[in-house]
Amino acid sequence: MTGRDVSLALLMVVVAVVIQTAVFGDGRINPFGSSPAFVLVVVLACARYIDPAPALLLGFTAGMLLDLLGGSPLGLWAMSYTVVVYVSLRFRDRADDGPLVIGVGVFALTLLANALFLIVGTLFGERFFTSTAVIKNILLPAVYNLAVASVVFPLVTRLLGSRRHLGWSS
Amino acid sequence: MQSFQRFDRSTSLFIVLLVVAFMLATFDVRSDGTGVGTTMRDGAQTLFSPLQEAASAVTRPVVGFIDALSDIASLREENDELREENDSLRAEVEEFAGVQAELELLRELNGVEVPDDLPTVVARITSPGSSSFDLDRWINKGSDDGISIGDAVIVEQGLVGRIDQVFDGSARVRLILDPNVRVAVRDAVTDQAGFVTGNNTDPLVLRIFQAEEAAIAGTIVETAGSRFPSGIVVGTVIETAADEAGFGLVAEVEPGVSFSSLDFVIVIVGYSPLDAQPQDDLLEQDPVESEEQPTDTTEPGAETTEPSSETATTEGSP
Repeated sequence: MTGRDVSLALLMVVVAVVIQTAVFGDGRINPFGSSPAFVLVVVLACARYIDPAPALLLGFTAGMLLDLLGGSPLGLWAMSYTVVVYVSLRFRDRADDGPLVIGVGVFALTLLANALFLIVGTLFGERFFTSTAVIKNILLPAVYNLAVASVVFPLVTRLLGSRRHLGWSS
Repeated sequence: MQSFQRFDRSTSLFIVLLVVAFMLATFDVRSDGTGVGTTMRDGAQTLFSPLQEAASAVTRPVVGFIDALSDIASLREENDELREENDSLRAEVEEFAGVQAELELLRELNGVEVPDDLPTVVARITSPGSSSFDLDRWINKGSDDGISIGDAVIVEQGLVGRIDQVFDGSARVRLILDPNVRVAVRDAVTDQAGFVTGNNTDPLVLRIFQAEEAAIAGTIVETAGSRFPSGIVVGTVIETAADEAGFGLVAEVEPGVSFSSLDFVIVIVGYSPLDAQPQDDLLEQDPVESEEQPTDTTEPGAETTEPSSETATTEGSP
C-alpha cells in the first residue's frame, strides 16, 4: 500500500459522497422511498486494499462528510462507518474472498451501519423510531447495496487491487 | 507477532475514533446549531455545494429516466384512481366556485394578509440529504439572499418546512415531516387551534386539546401564525376524529406537499415572528418598530392556545 493508494481511496470516497448527496435520496433516485448507501460500499471496497489504520480513518472521514452534508448530529455516521470498517477489517483476514462472501458481507455491514446509526442517533435525541418506515430504510439500502457492490467492487479492484490485494481473505 | 501489533494499533485507533465521534456528536447536540459544528458544516457546504449542483445538473436526465421507470408499476393503478377522483372533483369544482369567490371577497373585506404578499426568495433543492433517514433538504440560496434561520419554506401546494441552518450560499430546510417539528395550525372549517407534528414518512399528526368539534376528513389544516405566517396550507385531515374523553383530538393529516417531487421552493424572508427573536433584541427595539410587527401572530387561537408548543419545535431539532 502506498500513499497514492490512500489518496486515490480518499478521492473515490469524496466522489461517492457527492454522488450520494446529489443523485440519491428523496426526489432523486429513491426507489420505494429508500436509496443505497453508496458511500459505504465504496468505503468497504477500498478497505479491502489498504492497511487497517488508513482504512479506519477513511471510514471515519466518509462518515464525517455524510454528517456534515446531512441533517444528523455530527459524528453519528462517522461512528457507524468506523465500526463497520473495523468489523470488515477483522473479517477480511478470516473469510474466503468471493462474490458470495462479498455480497453477504456488504448486506450485513450495511444493515449494521444503519442499525448503529439509528440506535446511537436515538440515544442522541433523534426520533427515528416513530414510523414503521424505519425498517424499510434499514433493509432496502442493504438490498440496493448488493447491486451497487457488483459494480463498485470490480472498479475499485481495478484501481487499487493491481499492486496489492489484501481482500477479505489475504 | 507483527500481525498482532498491527491489530493492536488499529484497535487503539478504532477506540480513539469512536471517542472523537462520540464527543463530536455530544458537542453538536449540546451546541444547538452553533459552534464548531456549524463552522465545519459551513466549510463542507462551501466545498461541496458547487460539486453537488454540477453532479445534480449532469445526472438530472438520467435520474428523471430512472425515476420514471420505477414509477411505471404504480402508474396504471394511479391512473384509475385519478380518473375516479377527476370525476368527483369536476362536480365539486362547480360547487366550490361560488364558495371560493365568496372567500376571496371576505379576504379582501377583512384585509387579511396572505403569505404571498411577503418578500420571497426562490431556491432550488441541491441535495436531499445524505441518507434515507434525513428529513431535510439543502437549497442553493443562503444568507447572501436574505435567508435566515426560521424562515418558512413553501411551494404552491403548501408548507414544506423551515430553515434551520444558513450559510452564505446555501441553507438547510427542516421538513415538517421531522418529528421534532411542530407547527401551530388551525382547522379551516371549525377554526379550532392545535398543532401538527411530523411522523417521519407517515402522515402528520394533528393534536387539538379541548376540541369542541370533530376534525372532519378532507378538512384543510393551515398555519395559525406564530413562527409561520398564517394561512399556509399544511395538509388535509385523512379520517374524521373527535375528542376522546377529554384527552384531546388526535387526527392524521396528509401533507399538502409531495416531498419526493420537490425541485424549486419559495422561502418567505420577510416574516419576523415575535417569539423567534431574542428577548434582548426586542427590548432594544424602538417601540414604534415593535408595534409594526406582523399582526397575524396575535390571531385568536394561535398564540394563546399553543404558546410553548412551537417554541420547542425546530429550534430544538438538531
